[in-house]
Amino acid sequence: MSDIAMAPIQAASPRTRAVVYNDDVIRKFTIATMFWAAVAMLVGVVLAAQLCWPAVNLGFSFTNFGRLRPVHTSAAIFAFGGSALFATSFYIVQRTCRARLWGGTALHNFIFWGYQFFIVMAALSYVMGYSRGQEYSEPEWHLTLFLVIIWVAYAIVYIATVLVREEPHIYVSNWFYMAFIVTVAVLVLGNNAAVPLSMYSAKGYTAYAGVTNALIQWWYGHNAVGFFLTAAFLGMMYYFIPKQAGRPVYSYRLSVVHFWSLVFMYIWAGPHHLHYTSLPDWTQTLGMVFSIMLWMPSWGGMINGLMTLSGAWDKLRTDPGLRFSVTAVGFYGMSTFEGPVMSIRSVNALAHYTDWVVGHVHSGALGWVAFISFGAMYYLVPILWNRKSMYSHTLMAWHYWIATLGIVLYITALWVAGIMQGLMWRAYDSFGFLQYAFSDSVNAVHPYYVIRFLGGALFLTGTLIMIFNLLMTVYSPQTAPKTQRQSAVAAE
Amino acid sequence: MHAGFMMEEASERVVGGLMLILGLTGLLLASGALDNAIYIFGLSLAAFAVVFELGLIRSHYDRKDRMARARAGFDV
Repeated sequence: MSDIAMAPIQAASPRTRAVVYNDDVIRKFTIATMFWAAVAMLVGVVLAAQLCWPAVNLGFSFTNFGRLRPVHTSAAIFAFGGSALFATSFYIVQRTCRARLWGGTALHNFIFWGYQFFIVMAALSYVMGYSRGQEYSEPEWHLTLFLVIIWVAYAIVYIATVLVREEPHIYVSNWFYMAFIVTVAVLVLGNNAAVPLSMYSAKGYTAYAGVTNALIQWWYGHNAVGFFLTAAFLGMMYYFIPKQAGRPVYSYRLSVVHFWSLVFMYIWAGPHHLHYTSLPDWTQTLGMVFSIMLWMPSWGGMINGLMTLSGAWDKLRTDPGLRFSVTAVGFYGMSTFEGPVMSIRSVNALAHYTDWVVGHVHSGALGWVAFISFGAMYYLVPILWNRKSMYSHTLMAWHYWIATLGIVLYITALWVAGIMQGLMWRAYDSFGFLQYAFSDSVNAVHPYYVIRFLGGALFLTGTLIMIFNLLMTVYSPQTAPKTQRQSAVAAE
Repeated sequence: MHAGFMMEEASERVVGGLMLILGLTGLLLASGALDNAIYIFGLSLAAFAVVFELGLIRSHYDRKDRMARARAGFDV
């Protein structure tokens, strides 16, 4: 019988009533997370192959690099990452607030199917050649409007659930998720403002012009990283690492302090993407200074995540899911160290427009975002599908090592390629002419592109192993539930 | 009536109304489309709305049936 149908029968006094969580929407988002992970990484591997061997473009307009690239980034960030955030935020907010998701099943299903519809329509429009041409902000005006409807519904459900909570305290994860929800809404509404050619045309033109448009784009772009890919996943970290480790958060006070400093500082850092452009110099410096200051709150989160394992480090030997989560925190620390370094103007002079930036993004996307999501999924799936454990810890370990090797190959290859590109582009001969043609730098990085392709292929292989393992966890009799588990949990 | 049921009923009505508006908007966009992207989006939006409405109708009556069986004392 459905849980909601049982609710009135279970209803007693408010003090004794068991909370009936809506786990159905979380299961749907979990499935979507793993599906989009495979899609995003497969397209990424194809793109990496296209950079090595241009024939892989296949000669079709809809399979060329320019059109597939936004499919890859959007699938990785918004489809895979977004679905993981929906799943975990809905799981966490119900458990930490001891309240069923507000708004009714129909609204939750609307959020799920609406978001999937948006992703499919956006991807389709990219391969058809429709794009705003602004990084991470490619959907044209009609898709943006549709996304806004979904996002408002998400914000209402999440915030209302927090408001009707039966726990007096709002757990720190919820603060991170709420910052993510509210800020992403503001960012999208601000940056995607556009004037459509016609109500009946998909093409629209951005409401801003010139350097103003560039500044707003990177205010959006960097805060998409800051609030979508950082703050929200920190919310995930603050719930799942303590759960997996069986330890409380190392310093709850630090979590609150670094939350407020993170959200305050991130919002200013965008201009570091526009060093040496027509953006006013003081604005570039402002972005650089705030980026460097971001070190402190970023590492506050990293230290808090790692120190939560105090007294439980031995679990890393036996729990590969926790290993994913903790390695993710390590990569988070590394990429939030690298980012401020790259924002320093003189370093940026070398790094900008090179593959170092691509490597940096992937150390965050694969090492932090994907790993923390994998850790959460390994924790969630047996609970959501009422199984006693994961199907195979050996496969989890294989996934971990294959994926880690993939990331290491990927980012080291692009460090070398990027720094080499930067050095070649700025090299002068004794007569003051550029020493290398651009094509020389393209030829020079080819071996590193092949290594990057191999790294990506390894990461994809690990993800496919994970999907197999999760499917077996759900369907194999070997993982059959120990007892009929009630979805009502009194004290999470 | 239990608050949970009132919420479910209200949710279905609000989302059903919203999907109706979205579906009609999709048809409107498709009808005057100047390019393939808006044409495909409009038709897909209308189809999405229809399928979602059918799902809402099904879940509404499934719930009514379950309630009736629960009241009658059947093991549901």
